[in-house]
Amino acid sequence: MIRSLFLFSLGLLLLSCGSESTEQTYDSSTLRRATLQEVEALVEAFILAEDSSTISIPSGFYDLHTQLILDNKTSVQIKGAGMDQTVLSFRNLKSGGEGVKIVGKEITIENLSIEDAPGDGIKAQHTDGITFRKINVTWTNGDKSKNGTYAIYPVQCKNVLIEECIASHSKDAGIYVGQSEDIVVKNSLAFGNVAGIEIENCDRAEVYGNTARDNAGGILVFNLPGLPKGDGRKTRIYDNDIIDNNHENFATSIGDGPNGNTVTMIPPGSGIVLLAAKEVEIFNNRILRNKTYGVAIASYQVTGFPAKAPNWSPYTSDISLHDNEYDRGSWSSLPDLTRELGQLVSLYNAHGWLKTQDIIYDGIWDESLASSIDSNPMRICIQEPSIKDLRFTRFYLMEGEDNIESFKDYAPFEDCKPSPAGLDSLRILHSKIL
Amino acid sequence: MDGSSPNFSTWVFTLIFLSLMWSCQSATKEESKASIPEEILAPEEATGKFPYRRLSTYGFFEGEMAQLAPNPSLIRYQPASSLFTDYALKSRFAYLPDGQKAILEGEELNLPQGTILVKNFYYPSDFRNPEGERRIIETRLMIHEETGWQAYPYLWNESQTDAVLKVVGSEVVVKYVDSQGEEQLINYLVPNKNQCKSCHNKNETLAPLGVQTKHLNHEIAFKDGSDNQLAHWTKLGKLEGFLGEAAHPSLINYEDKNQALEDRAMAYLDINCSHCHQAEGPASTSGLFLTYGQKDPLKLGVFKTPVAAGKGSGKHTYDIVPGQADASILLHRMNSTEMGVAMPEIGRTSIHAEGVALIREWINQMNYK
Repeated sequence: MIRSLFLFSLGLLLLSCGSESTEQTYDSSTLRRATLQEVEALVEAFILAEDSSTISIPSGFYDLHTQLILDNKTSVQIKGAGMDQTVLSFRNLKSGGEGVKIVGKEITIENLSIEDAPGDGIKAQHTDGITFRKINVTWTNGDKSKNGTYAIYPVQCKNVLIEECIASHSKDAGIYVGQSEDIVVKNSLAFGNVAGIEIENCDRAEVYGNTARDNAGGILVFNLPGLPKGDGRKTRIYDNDIIDNNHENFATSIGDGPNGNTVTMIPPGSGIVLLAAKEVEIFNNRILRNKTYGVAIASYQVTGFPAKAPNWSPYTSDISLHDNEYDRGSWSSLPDLTRELGQLVSLYNAHGWLKTQDIIYDGIWDESLASSIDSNPMRICIQEPSIKDLRFTRFYLMEGEDNIESFKDYAPFEDCKPSPAGLDSLRILHSKIL
Repeated sequence: MDGSSPNFSTWVFTLIFLSLMWSCQSATKEESKASIPEEILAPEEATGKFPYRRLSTYGFFEGEMAQLAPNPSLIRYQPASSLFTDYALKSRFAYLPDGQKAILEGEELNLPQGTILVKNFYYPSDFRNPEGERRIIETRLMIHEETGWQAYPYLWNESQTDAVLKVVGSEVVVKYVDSQGEEQLINYLVPNKNQCKSCHNKNETLAPLGVQTKHLNHEIAFKDGSDNQLAHWTKLGKLEGFLGEAAHPSLINYEDKNQALEDRAMAYLDINCSHCHQAEGPASTSGLFLTYGQKDPLKLGVFKTPVAAGKGSGKHTYDIVPGQADASILLHRMNSTEMGVAMPEIGRTSIHAEGVALIREWINQMNYK
């Protein structure tokens, strides 16, 4: 009861700090509206496209009532006249899961904006060689609960390149790469989303030079159970700005709390979240002013969902965290209390109530490997030069909610050999994509 | 931690947010529908090079087009269970080129090159009299070309004299009186050509849905009496490899209330969902597989969390909660017409009340420890 009263008064206090953004990068309202004939011609151009052709979309605001689908084509380039010049609006879409859908081989889409798709903005599936370059995908609804799921959404793809893109205001992840292999996400901006950039059940992803700001969570690496592609491995996250990710989590309506979508559980104020992740290296990032924590290392068990599935393990393992810059922000930006993970941090961290954390580790380990966590059985390697000034908490959650403990001691995780996230294979990938 | 139970702070936040925040304006925009003037159709010659611009050029129908009276080379067919498409009625025909046969191997029904499947979508003005006055909306052709299957949507004109190829799709407002005598208005969506593959998709190649062994392996009425469709095709010299009804898989009609609830539900999910929700379909990403023979509870959605469902999840945690249909995402998405929530993603703008009732009953009666 005391805890409840406490949360109540804090809820009042924190309201003033809750942030929400409807910022738009470009203003599409001043653009010339494409005629009905131009819109039909565009739909037809996607349908009738031939291999090795270019679909050029002149500047204008295209009010689409049907999906743009490029189906099983090879070497097609889709080119707008610029992110601020060519806008494909799906506000009036009547059916279909996404605005733009791409299937094929060696496809490039660049220099345009996609707005207000009821489901996903742009989805590429079963495509080997997909490049998204300078595309801006967003929602312009004032009421963000109406926004779509993913902005940029490659899934079951190979050789994915996302560069200089902008993804904003999606109800799930802005840039979401799922069940794919050999991925580069670079020099892009994700803001105002629930999750900025998410890599899920993927092998070999490089995420660098990006800015993830003003999302509820900045960059996420997840492995979820029960999918055709099981555990993904080898992600590197470096040279990114992961800042001010304190946006409300609007994946469900305010007051509804989380549902079965894992992202609904992400507490506002999350910099980087690893969930059931494998072989992830995180370095040279600027992780600044995320009010709940900078980096969370968590196993799938924290979701409370069934944690058994083929070709998949709920544990996060082989993590290397080094040489990042941290800033916990001002004293007044208190950790989240709207999500259970936020409450865990606020109330049970090892540094005192309502203290923002730099690094948290849920401390859940595979007991078939070791009887204690002191031997670091999941190989979590933390080698931060500034570790003495950082707030690190390792929790003990394995005896349920009534017996939660927390520890400041980072030593067990400092002295270990990180297993780098497959540098060689990534170099090969780089020469292949770039 | 338990991910589903709302706690005290959540309630507090609800209250506060409700009272303090959210002045959300819902911008509803009325669309005025421009009626397309009836085109004067230029004559067209049957060159043998598909697709034709006009449906009539194929010569499928004898006499007045709108009667849809097939020429003798067309075989009527009907799948055991039917995909819901906004209550539209359908008449279906298969054309197999002269001297060519379909080959049945195991479950696979392989149709020869040159096969054309003809599917007409129409609404009676009054469903209490389905044979009475009607309006044909569209005819979809699937043609087995040299390079594989192709789908072509043809949109019927107002005067019902012909239909024209419309690759970009269309919207048609349809009025009818339903079987209860209620007036209904449906904003019927003709899919664009590439949307066809949203459903007709097997490993990213276009494939027929209804013309599969399991859907055709049952009796229907022909002019000269009832017969198993595959037996009928065999007698016509159009099929090889049929070993009798029992030797091949078959699906039931989900509308047949004499069948077991479980079988009816699975037949419904198979014909309405499994074209995407199977390992070879575009919704394989979800791990939710709804084919007739699916036995793995997790793949069927039992206590399975969603992956990319976004707002489709509503307030729910699992695709199916046994015994609790109204807490199941599967039913929630069937029971919605909201874009981004409604499933299937294309093909309907209304709720299939009978389908929802069937799946609700099935989930509510489901036992699972």
